[in-house]
Amino acid sequence: MQTRLASLFRRGRYERELDSELRFHLDMLTEQNIRLGLAPDQARRAALLTFGEVDRVKDDVRDTWLSRMAETVMQDARYGLRSIARSRGFACVIVLTMGLGIGANAAIFSVVNGVLLKPLPYADGHELVALWQHEPLAGNADIGFSYKEILDYRTARSLESVVEFHNMWFILLGRSEPQRVSTGVVSANFFDVLGVTPMFGRTFVDADDKPGAPAVLVLSHAYWKSSFAGDPTIVGKVFQMNDRPHQVIGILPPVPQYPADVDVYMPTSACPFRSDPRTVENRNARMVSAFARLKDGVSLSKAQADLDLVAARLEQEYPDFYPATRGHRTVATSLQEEMTVNFRATLLVLLGTAGFVLLIVCASVANLMLARLVRREREIAVRSAMGATRGRLLRQLLTESTLLAILGGIVGLAIAGLSVDLLVAFATQFTARAAEISIDRSVLLYTLAISVATGLVVGSVPGLSGKLTDVSSLREGTRTTQSRHAMRSALIVVQVAASFMLLIGAGLTIRSLLKLQQVDPGIDTENILTMRIDLNFTKYPSAPFNTRPELWERIDEEIRNRPGVTRVGGAATFPLNERGPFSGSLTISGRELPQDVTRPTVDVRVATPDYFATVGQPVVSGRPFRRSDRMGQNRVVIINQTMARHYWPGADPLGARLSGDGGETWQTVVGVVADTRQQLNENPKDEVYVPMFQTTQLSTMWLVRSNVEPETMAREIRAAVQAVDPEQPVDNFRTLADVRSASIAPRKLTATLLGLFGLLALVITATGIAGVIAFSVNQRTQEFGVMMALGAPPFNVLAMVLRQGLQLVLIGLAIGLAGALVLTRMLTTLLFGIEPTDGITFVAMSMVLISVAALACLVPAKRAASVDPMIALRAV
Amino acid sequence: MAPKSDLLQGTLDLLILRTLSAGPKHGWGIALTIQQVSQEVLQVNQGSLYPALHRLEQQGLIEAEWGNSENNRQAKFYQLTRLGRKQLSEETKNWERLSEAVGRILANS
Repeated sequence: MQTRLASLFRRGRYERELDSELRFHLDMLTEQNIRLGLAPDQARRAALLTFGEVDRVKDDVRDTWLSRMAETVMQDARYGLRSIARSRGFACVIVLTMGLGIGANAAIFSVVNGVLLKPLPYADGHELVALWQHEPLAGNADIGFSYKEILDYRTARSLESVVEFHNMWFILLGRSEPQRVSTGVVSANFFDVLGVTPMFGRTFVDADDKPGAPAVLVLSHAYWKSSFAGDPTIVGKVFQMNDRPHQVIGILPPVPQYPADVDVYMPTSACPFRSDPRTVENRNARMVSAFARLKDGVSLSKAQADLDLVAARLEQEYPDFYPATRGHRTVATSLQEEMTVNFRATLLVLLGTAGFVLLIVCASVANLMLARLVRREREIAVRSAMGATRGRLLRQLLTESTLLAILGGIVGLAIAGLSVDLLVAFATQFTARAAEISIDRSVLLYTLAISVATGLVVGSVPGLSGKLTDVSSLREGTRTTQSRHAMRSALIVVQVAASFMLLIGAGLTIRSLLKLQQVDPGIDTENILTMRIDLNFTKYPSAPFNTRPELWERIDEEIRNRPGVTRVGGAATFPLNERGPFSGSLTISGRELPQDVTRPTVDVRVATPDYFATVGQPVVSGRPFRRSDRMGQNRVVIINQTMARHYWPGADPLGARLSGDGGETWQTVVGVVADTRQQLNENPKDEVYVPMFQTTQLSTMWLVRSNVEPETMAREIRAAVQAVDPEQPVDNFRTLADVRSASIAPRKLTATLLGLFGLLALVITATGIAGVIAFSVNQRTQEFGVMMALGAPPFNVLAMVLRQGLQLVLIGLAIGLAGALVLTRMLTTLLFGIEPTDGITFVAMSMVLISVAALACLVPAKRAASVDPMIALRAV
Repeated sequence: MAPKSDLLQGTLDLLILRTLSAGPKHGWGIALTIQQVSQEVLQVNQGSLYPALHRLEQQGLIEAEWGNSENNRQAKFYQLTRLGRKQLSEETKNWERLSEAVGRILANS
């Protein structure tokens, strides 16, 4: 028995003993040979010959140790399996409970692994950084970079290369329908720096980026799949774009796209905006994002120091471009972190929640095991009387629980596997890396590890609760039972406390969601179909002669006259849409500010005459836009109530004159509209609306109010627009109601997940309480019988059992309350409209937990109260 | 080393148990005894004794204790356990039955 464990844990001692045992033999053999007349060295050699190879002998001896150990493990496992098979129902409950707990953790870990832990699927992704220019004093978190600045930062010593990216759209012609393609405009070496090799064809080379080079395109994997059905022969095809032929030269592999999901990529030379000399030459034309690769072994802080040096040089050389009043600063952040920055808080909360679920599962299963141990007490007492040591019995229990936990792990893995698609859909709301979520080797190892850990924890609880091998338990009713009861009560308290914290977390996020859903966005979201109409800017240039306003008027009229259209409004963006409005500076006539003072900014929105009526945004004073508010007429604007209150408190803003360009051109305020919110969790901001027919708007969203079914309406609208220009795409058709639910989808999914976890915890805890109370009622049947025989009314017995159960629940609740008050602070970023200590949630969840627990106690309590005193007494 | 046939292994185990039935012995003593008693017929590498000893020890048939040898050196002494004694008498009977049967077959042919 000793040797078996020793070969695992105390190999050293056994090795030493084996050494001296064999040495003794060889010495004796040598001495014998000397006595037979051999010289000492000959005698030694002869001895070795007779003995055989010493190392070989040692190996064989070690083999006997190992095989014996394996045999014991197998024996334990066989015994365990037999004992599991004997009580299949019990085993099923445990495996299922563990499966749920382990599954929850495996699922969440698969997300953490795919999104946070795996290296970026770019070559040496950890060396990649995103660069940002801030102007914190002017309130600008990200002003972008100009080409001149990209060139400057390429001189930073710790950066291997700096590449640029900006997102445009263009109209791709040459297919059956004109198509708006979202385009990433990048440096020629963009993909080389990222370390992405194309799936087909090639990516860009320097020659592609020379001025006047033939225009080339690289397709993103998703666009190639969805638009070209994954046809590799598309490489080499030529399409018309921006009045030039563009040749497809390559297709990207399915890598996450950052900073934006685009359809195609082109080098900067092919982008009409970026290659415009006015953009190239102007240090202030900041339109691109910058990425860089750190040189080998350079730390982020070293890179930051180098960036600071370059920034300081620029600030000194061009003070006009980097006024000290704005606090200009250039920083580098790890790309890996940047890609998941919106997800981290949510993921950590989910990871913690899953951990709590597992804790509850462990407590629940340990409790079940303890209950069964009491039933197996005789078996264990007999085995121990027969000479099984405490260690051996403990190991047997651990083997059993670990076997169960591994079965649970398999169930958990199945649960995680089935939920991968859902998890990817969930993660897509937060990060570009969602597609990397899968059940890979790390997830398998993690699942195995937590399964084994769960099994060991659960299996060692019985060993902690009183003596295992008390032969006196062959007799009835011993102290062991009492200490086990204390342990079982403690486990219930743990479950209740952890469940309460989970319920509070779920309650807070769900209540936030409900609050958010009740927020009035300021527009009527029913029966509205939205769509995007982005113009081909080579066809509708702003110079020398701007044809856009007139085109918008024609499109507006064409849609308005279609059957089924009640109202139509055009805008640059609309409330609840992901894309927010542009902001512009504000100058009010008569209140001009000195030159060196930063002007306040307002949201600048665009609207057609019928826009306000279409979305149901009331004009509270003055007038809406008219069809006569067009180019060449008086320039007018409408402001919202928040802005009116802000700048004209108690006064009438109508007739006031505003300028968005520091006083070069002026517009007159002709109306005030009610407030709206861009997102439900945002407050209304100061807004200035400009008539669309007085702008050179290139990118527009349209909203059509109609009772016709959306698909039909979409066809009708596309026909209307293409009646004006057959080469004009209309896309992104969505109902406003869908846009609204998409805007809160991340919160909804998070709340759903936390709610599910909370529910799971509640169910497991309730069954755990019911089990423990039922068990203790069973054991006390005689006691109840005596009580009632002596005249106690059944109600007293019921109350006694209930009190016993609820006492535990209240202790758990108190501990959970303390824990929740500390932990919910971590939820702050996920909440809306309530504090992390929201009283209503705390009270409501306490009520839920207490009533569910009371119900769980009631069933066994009723049985206790219905004990027939005679039967109970006879059973003695 | 000689192939580990079941026969050989079983035989070696039996010989060890038999040798130890006379009293505790260390590995060297067991080897000497087997050699002398078998009159040098059984010539195996003495080293192969040790895996067998350790296996028997783990099966609980023999137990070991460190003690002083005849020439006052530390040596590991093996002795039969109760289980080992039982096993020996069973195995001896089996062996006798087998050798008797084999003997009869050889005599008759």
